[in-house]
Amino acid sequence: MKSDSVRGHLDGMLLAVLEAGPLHGYAIIAAVQRRSGGTVELRTGTIYPALNRLERIGLLSSSWESVGERRRRCYQLTDAGQGALAGERRAWQEFTTAIGSVLNPSPAT
Amino acid sequence: MTAAARTPVAADPLDAYVAELAAELHGPARAKARLLAEIRDGLADTVAAHSEGGAPRRPALDAALREFGTPGELAPSCQRELTVAQVRHTAGTVALTAPLLLAGWLLSWHAGGADGWLPRAAQLLAGCLTVVAVLAALPAVATLAATGPLARRLPTPDRLPALAAWTGTVTALAMGAAGLALAVTAPLATAWPLLALAAAVTVASHALVAGSARTCRRCARPPAAVDA
Repeated sequence: MKSDSVRGHLDGMLLAVLEAGPLHGYAIIAAVQRRSGGTVELRTGTIYPALNRLERIGLLSSSWESVGERRRRCYQLTDAGQGALAGERRAWQEFTTAIGSVLNPSPAT
Repeated sequence: MTAAARTPVAADPLDAYVAELAAELHGPARAKARLLAEIRDGLADTVAAHSEGGAPRRPALDAALREFGTPGELAPSCQRELTVAQVRHTAGTVALTAPLLLAGWLLSWHAGGADGWLPRAAQLLAGCLTVVAVLAALPAVATLAATGPLARRLPTPDRLPALAAWTGTVTALAMGAAGLALAVTAPLATAWPLLALAAAVTVASHALVAGSARTCRRCARPPAAVDA
């Protein structure tokens, strides 16, 4: 899956992998790749400014935490982030239903 | 001298990567340093992941860089976020210093003691310029709201960085001229310590806003090269 196709859904994917609990940058990348079965092609460095933006608009909060021997910035969903994730899921469901019904019409239509 | 030429050559490939990216970015020092630190950590983690199982470092580094993206590929998205951070910095500086300026000017005006038409005229001129600065605080507050939680619902206008840069520039000019007017006439007034204090506050505000607005203008400039 090319990065251009993914870009519009990056926010939703980042929010989704943080739903289970706080993660640092590389763990977020690894979670996206694991969940997509390695099919999402993304310049992984671009998630850092995206995480900064989601924090600025209040969907994530972050703090420095010790992970292993190093200190890393860990991100977690805020209440507003939970709401935004629900909205992303709803919009995605409506989108795939609409496009799916055009691409694969049922015999009756 | 170009930014790349000013960048010291780093021995460590990760430091060299971060230095190359840093040379392409403009914005508030703290936000830039934080973003670059996170990127360096992320790149180090990516190299470590590719080195698992005892793979040689050089191929692991090359694979990590391909996956992570080159500095040129990362720079536009990093700069977009740093530009918004700079817009917020400039808007915040205007919003905080303009009321301070107004308080200083009101104090000097109500304290009286400015004898003669020249000190009074200068105080009046400074007052008009203070009103300009205070009026500029209104769009500054709106900018802070538009780039904060409101950005969840409203798209950030493309021209907002330029608007913030020029609002900051006009405010800085007004503050500079007001400070000059107060400083020149302070020695002529009987209550000169108050006018001198108001002038000092105004000039300090000018320096803060002018510096932030200069960086904001640089961030608002369109990139010289279009990314392929």
